Amino acid sequence: TPSGRSGPFGTAHSAPQAIPHCTELLQASCGAPDRPSSLTPDTAVISPQDPTLLIGSSLQATCSVHGDPPGATAEGLYWTLNGRRLAPELSRVLNASTLALALANLNGSRQQSGDNLVCHARDGSILAGSCLYVGLPPEKPFNISCWSKNMKDLTCRWTPGAHGETFLHTNYSLKYKLRWYGQDNTCEEYHTVGPHSCHIPKDLALFTPYEIWVEATNRLGSARSDVLTLDILDVVTTDPPPDVHVSRVGGLEDQLSVRWVSPPALKDFLFQAKYQIRYRVEDSVDWKVVDDVSNQTSCRLAGLKPGTVYFVQVRCNPFGIYGSKKAGIWSEWSHPTAASTPRSERPGPGGGACEPRGGEPSSGPVRRELKQFLGWLKKHAYCSNLSFRLYDQWRAWMQKTHKTRNQEGVLTSSSAGASPERSPAQTAPVPPSAAAGPPGVGKEQGAYHGWQRPSPALPHRPGREALKHPGRQPRPESQGAVLCTGGVWDSVYRGSWGAPSGQALE
Amino acid sequence: MSRREGSLENPQADSSISPLPHLEAKIRQTHSLARLLTKYAEQLLQEYVQHQGDPFGLPGFSPPRLPVAGLSSPAPGHAGLPAPERLRLDAAALSALPPLLDVVRRHQAELNPRAPRLLRRLEDAARQARALGAAVEAVLAALGAEPREPRPEPAAAAAAAAAATATATDAGVFPAKVLGLRVCGLYREWVSRTEGDLGQLVPGGPA
Repeated sequence: TPSGRSGPFGTAHSAPQAIPHCTELLQASCGAPDRPSSLTPDTAVISPQDPTLLIGSSLQATCSVHGDPPGATAEGLYWTLNGRRLAPELSRVLNASTLALALANLNGSRQQSGDNLVCHARDGSILAGSCLYVGLPPEKPFNISCWSKNMKDLTCRWTPGAHGETFLHTNYSLKYKLRWYGQDNTCEEYHTVGPHSCHIPKDLALFTPYEIWVEATNRLGSARSDVLTLDILDVVTTDPPPDVHVSRVGGLEDQLSVRWVSPPALKDFLFQAKYQIRYRVEDSVDWKVVDDVSNQTSCRLAGLKPGTVYFVQVRCNPFGIYGSKKAGIWSEWSHPTAASTPRSERPGPGGGACEPRGGEPSSGPVRRELKQFLGWLKKHAYCSNLSFRLYDQWRAWMQKTHKTRNQEGVLTSSSAGASPERSPAQTAPVPPSAAAGPPGVGKEQGAYHGWQRPSPALPHRPGREALKHPGRQPRPESQGAVLCTGGVWDSVYRGSWGAPSGQALE
Repeated sequence: MSRREGSLENPQADSSISPLPHLEAKIRQTHSLARLLTKYAEQLLQEYVQHQGDPFGLPGFSPPRLPVAGLSSPAPGHAGLPAPERLRLDAAALSALPPLLDVVRRHQAELNPRAPRLLRRLEDAARQARALGAAVEAVLAALGAEPREPRPEPAAAAAAAAAATATATDAGVFPAKVLGLRVCGLYREWVSRTEGDLGQLVPGGPA
């Protein structure tokens, strides 16, 4: 046996000696003249070996030096925990060959592989080691959410109880079974969308509920989540809409057109898709979200700033699959698509591009603009098929003629009006305070805070039927307006048409 | 081809020898591989100690450098041996390492299941040791030198390593950590040694 100082790991200072207990691991080295040490568990041993303990509990441990050589003694032995020497007062010599240790109020383990409690000889050599596992039993996992991509699979994620910190390796197992029959199954593909997630790739039934739960287990115990019951058809999501294109709308400085394709994976299923659009200015982190873009694949953003780059994303919610009455789950947002609004090259009074145009009001409220437009329509338009294109033409005409307006805002007649039959006549602008637009039109903020069907007093014209007023309340905080059409002017959410530079249309 | 210890010379001396440019290219390639694996071995060791916790990563920590399953560190006299003998020892060590690295990986899969990078490095190390060992044997064969001892069968090597697993596990977690440290250390020592031995054979390298 090695010298009295040797333990399971021997000592670099021991004289080479025969090793009585050579494990298979070290068989080839036994008797090697310059390799005195060996893994000999019965030279010194720590008890308990690799214990598992609750946080806050105490530990009584011993380091016992066994066997040869004579004189091996507990005197001079000392302990370290994770490399730090423990205070002598925590140790005491139990007998000639045993050094005891008492630790109280243990903290959670510093590393997953266990805290290293080591018994050292007087010269610092390692005699024995034991790994402590100090932690907490798992708490009940909760907040299980699942979704199916195109009805082909199921991905679930959950939140571990106790914020996940048990200080011990805790194993999470997602289980599922058909509610009315079948055996328990265990999910096998973990960490697919984060550390607490699992993916079931196939063999899932539709039109029948599943029960899903999570079991958490560690060295100190186990816990089980509540059971989540769902039908695959009620948690369907899809890929983001592909082929999102954002483009300018002719020369209109405050609009961009967004087009996309409905997700192809669900094209064979009966469903109505809802879409959401969000957009932001290039150097901003604030997205503006447009809701309720129902079952359309194009939309027009208006009220944007001229000469500005915008990032746009679209996402899809499939609902009503196979008659399900539940909304689906929103897809991820599409990759951002960028486009810039045009900026006209009109020199200001000082020749600078950013100076306000003369004769224009400092702000261009939608309310005033739309009121003018309606007044113009009433007098001059006879449109069998009122369309947004018609409105665009009017706006383009307005931009062209704004230069000739005087301070009273007198409109100049032009043959470029949208009406195929009549020219727009001069119309005096209506001060915002005397707004007499459609009922429910908001006032001084210059925004439409409600848009209702026009008064029955308005003469009925075929084109007016195309004016649909969803009656939805717009978001007063949103900038710009959205016109989501399939060619028909559907709704206007809000005014504030234009940049602070006053490029709003009159 | 005349052989001087530790270098190749006079490629035109014997036209019956396999083309020297090919051999030189082979030596260079293998040397480059060894150099790369030396870096990886160092990274593996650092990653390993990090996950075992102190005192494994502390500068003063030095458990006895135990030989493992017949594999010792390179002997002090290794550098003085003839080149073919050095390469034989390198090849033998490299062939003994993969089963041991597999054992360590299995241990660590239980001890550190949330350390995927460590587990991947251990897996890669086993594969890389095999590749380097095979490359060194190819160089030996090209030099006309055969391994002195037959290599143990892979199954036998794996069985010995599996026994090591049981032994280390029975002895406790701490001895298993020390075993892994020793194996990772041996891996680093032997790939570094191989790099040095091949470097002496690279034309233009030190004689």
